[in-house]
Amino acid sequence: MAREVIAAPLPGLDLRRHYGHFQSPAVRAGGLIFCSGMIPVDPRTGERLHGTLTSEAHVIFGNLKLLLEAAGSSLDRLVQVHALIYDSIEYDVLNRVYRQYVANGPPARTVWSAQIEAGFKVQLDVVAAA
Amino acid sequence: MSLPRKVIAPPLPGPGNRQASAAVRGGAFVFVSGLTAVDPATGAAIRGTTALETQRILENLKLILEAAGSSLARVVKVNVLMHSMLEAPNMNEIYARFFPEPPPARTVCGAHLPHGAKVMLECTALAPDDR
Repeated sequence: MAREVIAAPLPGLDLRRHYGHFQSPAVRAGGLIFCSGMIPVDPRTGERLHGTLTSEAHVIFGNLKLLLEAAGSSLDRLVQVHALIYDSIEYDVLNRVYRQYVANGPPARTVWSAQIEAGFKVQLDVVAAA
Repeated sequence: MSLPRKVIAPPLPGPGNRQASAAVRGGAFVFVSGLTAVDPATGAAIRGTTALETQRILENLKLILEAAGSSLARVVKVNVLMHSMLEAPNMNEIYARFFPEPPPARTVCGAHLPHGAKVMLECTALAPDDR
């Protein structure tokens, strides 16, 4: 069994190119797709889109949808989500956005607070079924 | 059908950790515990710069993966936890020397780490094909 790298479906989602992160956007292996930590960047330009946790989460889910679909998967096929937020006080704010994207049979999930790159308020780290 | 689950015997003579195995094979994957920098000969903690700790962790990770029949080239996902995200470039520079192209998926975040460690790294790799 081999691993297969999923290329960025749009140039803005190539964080290695824009920010030097030594990582592939996603890797498919063993029937699963492992995505690199998703941050709110413009999918066309890679520009960082800082905002509220709500606005950042909408951008991230939009980018995640593009990436998973490029890998032949989708948001409906998420298996596990790690949601990192800058402050746990925003937990309910995260949930209000989150449930718009994972409506039915939501994936396993862990939420915790952490320091996120570039001062972002949220980052999603996911595994999906291929 | 049950998939294999096998603890990988530690390749390092250090004392290890009774609470966690360094790596466990499960199904098609090898799951490696969060590693902090230790001397592979003694298991003693090594504390230094982010670059130095990263270097030591990745050298040890290579040994652990190879003991499991896997390798750095078969890593699919890495999570790096750092004491400060301001140090992420210092980690990234060393990190890039260890993984062949194309690199695995990765998430990096800042977190409070035990015992004054500056870097902790965990990963998931493809297990060897032969079993």
